Amino acid sequence: MPIPSEQGRLPAAAHHLVDRDRPVVFEFNGRQFQAYEGDTIASALYAAGVRIFSRSFKYHRSRGLLCVAGACPNCLMSVDGVPNVRACTTRVEAGMRVRHQNAWPSQERDFLSVLDRFGRLMPVGFYYKTFHTPKLFWKAARPIIRRVAGLGRVGQDPEPGPHHHEFRHTDVAVVGGGPAGMAAALAASAGARVVLVDDPPTLGGSLRYDSRTSAGLPGMGEVLALDSARKLASEVEANDRIEVLSEATAFGLYEGRLLAITQGDSMIRLRAGRVVIATGSHETPLVFDRNDIPGVMLSTGLQRLINLYGVKPGTTAMVATTGDQGYYAALDLLGAGMRVAVLADSRPAFPDRLDAARDLRNLGVLVLPSHTLVRAEGVKKVVGGVVSRLQDGRTTTEERQFDADIIAMSGGFEPAASLLQQAGASLAYDESSGETRPSELPEGVFAAGGAAGAHSLEEAILQGRLAGARAASGTGGARAASGLRRGLQIARAEYTAAPAQSRPPFRGLRGSKQIVCFCEDVTSKDIATAVDEGFRDIQILKRYSTVTMGPCQGKMCHRNFVDIAAVHTGSSAGDLGSTTARPPVQPVSLGTLAGPAHIPVKRTPLDRRHRALGAEMMDSNLWQRPRLYGSVQDEAMAVRNAVGIIDVSTLGKLDVRGRDAPALLDRLYTHSFSTLRNGRVRYGVLCADNGTIMDDGTVTRLAEDRYFVTTSTAGVEAIEEWFKWWMAGSDACAYVTNVTSGYAVINVAGPRARETLAKLTDVDLSPKAFRYMRAREGSVAGVPTLMLRIGFVGETGWELHFPAEYGEHVWDALMEAGKELGIRTFGTETQRVLRLEKMHIIPNQDTDMVSNPLDAGMRWVVRMDKDDFIGRGGLAAAMDRPARNRLVGFVMEDGAVPHDGDAVVSDMAPVGRVTSSRLSPTMGKGFGFCWVPADLAEHGTTIHIRTDGVVSPAEVRTEPFYDPEGKRLRE
Amino acid sequence: MAFLVKCPNCGERNVYEFRFGGEIVRRPEPGDDSAVWMKYFYARRNAAGQQREWWYHSLGCRRWFVAERDTTTNAIGSTWWPGEVQV
Repeated sequence: MPIPSEQGRLPAAAHHLVDRDRPVVFEFNGRQFQAYEGDTIASALYAAGVRIFSRSFKYHRSRGLLCVAGACPNCLMSVDGVPNVRACTTRVEAGMRVRHQNAWPSQERDFLSVLDRFGRLMPVGFYYKTFHTPKLFWKAARPIIRRVAGLGRVGQDPEPGPHHHEFRHTDVAVVGGGPAGMAAALAASAGARVVLVDDPPTLGGSLRYDSRTSAGLPGMGEVLALDSARKLASEVEANDRIEVLSEATAFGLYEGRLLAITQGDSMIRLRAGRVVIATGSHETPLVFDRNDIPGVMLSTGLQRLINLYGVKPGTTAMVATTGDQGYYAALDLLGAGMRVAVLADSRPAFPDRLDAARDLRNLGVLVLPSHTLVRAEGVKKVVGGVVSRLQDGRTTTEERQFDADIIAMSGGFEPAASLLQQAGASLAYDESSGETRPSELPEGVFAAGGAAGAHSLEEAILQGRLAGARAASGTGGARAASGLRRGLQIARAEYTAAPAQSRPPFRGLRGSKQIVCFCEDVTSKDIATAVDEGFRDIQILKRYSTVTMGPCQGKMCHRNFVDIAAVHTGSSAGDLGSTTARPPVQPVSLGTLAGPAHIPVKRTPLDRRHRALGAEMMDSNLWQRPRLYGSVQDEAMAVRNAVGIIDVSTLGKLDVRGRDAPALLDRLYTHSFSTLRNGRVRYGVLCADNGTIMDDGTVTRLAEDRYFVTTSTAGVEAIEEWFKWWMAGSDACAYVTNVTSGYAVINVAGPRARETLAKLTDVDLSPKAFRYMRAREGSVAGVPTLMLRIGFVGETGWELHFPAEYGEHVWDALMEAGKELGIRTFGTETQRVLRLEKMHIIPNQDTDMVSNPLDAGMRWVVRMDKDDFIGRGGLAAAMDRPARNRLVGFVMEDGAVPHDGDAVVSDMAPVGRVTSSRLSPTMGKGFGFCWVPADLAEHGTTIHIRTDGVVSPAEVRTEPFYDPEGKRLRE
Repeated sequence: MAFLVKCPNCGERNVYEFRFGGEIVRRPEPGDDSAVWMKYFYARRNAAGQQREWWYHSLGCRRWFVAERDTTTNAIGSTWWPGEVQV
């Protein structure tokens, strides 16, 4: 039998969100609970008698419901394996599996609550003070601290998905579906498309749990606030120019008025022309002894339980308030069948003007003006409390005790202005009223309602209409605005005559059980101590004490934190300012932020052939390339002794043409290309202006005004930008076009490459007719092809560039032609080994951000005798100073094969590093490239390389390991 | 980072369509002192406020242009083609 939640309920009412005819069964800590459709996890558990919902972060104190609005950390639970779910705003679903967290064995009986008695050992900033010495002690303490502190436990499995990302646009976005937000949306809809973002499942905001009769809605007469909410909501829903995003949380407002919103498993990026922030306000807790024990709740939290979920909070309540709000809440408590033992109002006089106050008195409730609550009694739940008379804003020894199981507290309201602050608004503090209001709103951002400091429903709605009209802009907004402004002035004047709240008094201010920050267990004493220790700036105090840094992001603690810090620093709350608000306003899961796993992949025109051959594919930038088809040894031997082909279609390719193309290339490369004759190929290095290597490749001159440039696979985008950047603003006649994907490229290499290719082309391939570093345009297997005779792998070979559409045709023709000659396909891994034997560098593998061509052993590519070029200044400076490090080859003297990145060591200290290292198929030894100090760079020097902890000797080589004279290339 | 950049060719677009090219610095003449070159390589004004800088519309028209940006708010003011303004 599921544990029922009926005994804790009030009679069903139309305005309740729960449907008492539709029971839902879910699981909490392994037991079945019965809830109703529309219940949140928290409302169902509370109605079923659960009072302790969590254990606090540091001291493992019992915590019950506090805000019932998804703002505070008190009801975080694990739901279906997802940690830190807010139980008070998450709707119950059938079969949901809910568990408590941060307590053992249960949240009711937590052995770690013993920590609460040792608070002295964990003062504010204890991380910086204790457990440090001796060093070993910290090592032992750290895992324990990490284990007992914190919230929830992140699962090892991927977060359940799928997560979606949406990108949307609107004229006007309104955040908050309360009275101000709805009024703004309706006003703006006259001239604009509107998206209204609202957290709860139903529109209405605070009106939904407000049981007052209200004349606040102009033109609606005397109605229940609950009913006016529904009327406004139906107007909004019927308006086809307003789209409502329900159960959606706007957690960030970024530049360009981009709202980041989570809704279910989706993240929505909403770009808005104008934004109206109508996020309401947060009720502030009061600071008194044991103000965190279960049963102490915000007055609005109790109103939500009663009016939204039909839950009866308890039997007897004490109410402590600094303003009118406490009286409204007290009436709701009476309406829920509870007794109100006392209402303590910190203001000096009984508010005669207030209907609610007179009603309460007529109902026989004891109202004590000039009183405040100083202490809650109880350990795991409230059993009573003590109020004290105030004199000159201080508590006195005149105390009275009352028995109660609920304490409703109301310390006033602070605008929920985080999004406004993120957009660049500042919060102005008014010393006389103790209220903050957003000011200096950035262009296109408006505020209305509680977020803008509105005090009454009428003011909120007028502000909403004004903000909506201005946000819609240019559609009679100005005319409408002047009338609304007059109305607002009247509303404000009425309020100023009879303010509804005063600043909360702070009594001892050094209580070790007066919780200011519920997320991180920071007490008023902690803040006092931090100030005593010299932390006086609000931002620094925050970092040191961690107050406002928990999941609530200051919603519960910011006001009290600033007020208490002001008292201790002897300054005013206005001068202290406020802490910086940053996204996210509400916790958001990493999975939601990450979104769906879309990994773009580029495939070469020969991709199907590679897969048919069973190639092992690897990622190379965005491309997928065959790493190996068989073994490196077999593939390498085929290239060295017969013929091999490799798909190099991923090479970056730029078409550079125009009258000034020669001058452009001369300026960008360290080498000279205006002197290159038509039909010839030259290797070139591109340097940044400080002389460091950016990229390399070949440049082929096809005509006086036309070059074909290749770049590294990864570098082509950056090089295209680079070329264009140096042309920007000049009137040079040169055009750069990225033609990378237009061509398939196959390299045919090996002593029998000529024989193979000759079967497919009429071009004379004889060594005299088609020499090394020459280019010809001709037909290969019937396909027009640019043939470059170059030799990255160190053998006779041609790089064939031809239209991508013919990729498979030419590949198949080559395979067929080479069949009897022993042709083999080879992959990038084999290519890497073969080029390493030839000491051909790969930029950004063998070089880094500080390598220049001089130190990399390529002095020959730098032509200092030509006019200015990019990199000249840096290379000239490098030539004036002795080289510190050099890139050299090495071959191991024993059987070790180092890894890329291993250290070159001297007397056990690292002095250099290996950039590429492999087992040589021809030498049978480990070899590669490494950076060494210049004094170790001589050919034949013995150096030492540490691999897997073992140091092995190696010999420095400055000439290619294979065919050092380059005869085979030229054959 | 979510601000909008006004490309002189394509209009106002999300900043993710662009590549940032850094603040505009004047390249020294070949004969200038090496200290001047070092400053050009490695030193930037890093202004807090209005700054003229290079932007490239990599996911659009693939052209470089000059923009004036407030580095404290990321608000982009005027944008120009390189020839229209001293760089």
